[in-house]
Amino acid sequence: MNENLFASFAAPSMMGLPIVVLIVMFPSILFPTPSRLINNRLISIQQWLIQLTSKQMLAIHNQKGRTWALMLMSLILFIGSTNLLGLLPHSFTPTTQLSMNLGMAIPLWAGTVITGFRYKTKVSLAHFLPQGTPLPLIPMLVVIETISLFIQPMALAVRLTANITAGHLLIHLIGGATLALINISATTAFITFIILILLTILEFAVALIQAYVFTLLVSLYLHDNT
Amino acid sequence: MAGPETDAQFHFTGIRKYFNSYTLTGRMNCVLATRGGIALLLYFKLGSKKTPAVKAT
Repeated sequence: MNENLFASFAAPSMMGLPIVVLIVMFPSILFPTPSRLINNRLISIQQWLIQLTSKQMLAIHNQKGRTWALMLMSLILFIGSTNLLGLLPHSFTPTTQLSMNLGMAIPLWAGTVITGFRYKTKVSLAHFLPQGTPLPLIPMLVVIETISLFIQPMALAVRLTANITAGHLLIHLIGGATLALINISATTAFITFIILILLTILEFAVALIQAYVFTLLVSLYLHDNT
Repeated sequence: MAGPETDAQFHFTGIRKYFNSYTLTGRMNCVLATRGGIALLLYFKLGSKKTPAVKAT
């Protein structure tokens, strides 16, 4: 049972060869490139969704911030599609790997910070001290704000990893409990099955929400630095 | 939101003109001074740890 619980989070391999790169690249197949002015239904729906999301997300940004539009839309599409595909039975979810999420969070966060220091050095440095701080508290607050800056990419990555991993573990556990209870008590097994259905619906929502939260936070860090 | 346009309302004199928590320049200088102080502290602390032979003589 213990080995089976975490087996789904191990790096996948097929005939001894690692296939994690193929799995990471797979969601891009689901988003065909539009080749016509008026496309088929799938592409039209995807374009409509991307337009809706980008309008809402880029509304707060100035011209410089909007140069990140492609990056932010790619990010939300990738994380959302990866999380949703991970809800299929026996599939591997790349976003349960902390290494992968750190690999996304750290460069994006560093990009926003470096952009801020490069184009608005004074404002970026002044951000480390809230306006109106009493004199004796200044050194402490500068240290606290510096630490909170460096925690941002860690929090981004760990938030996504923990949410998706916890959801998958819960589904695994409650599914196992349902199976085990079938022979013991059919009523309890039925109640557990209802809980499993509700949890799966929740996990669908969490998959999309976590993609949105990740992208929104990157967008907010960018807004602070542009 | 703080910015160059709101800094004009503050009129500090002396050292408070350059080190305060209200204007952009003041906040930036406070941040740089704090970080510079910590860097100097670490430099002298780590520097004194590296040379025990000199201390013994």
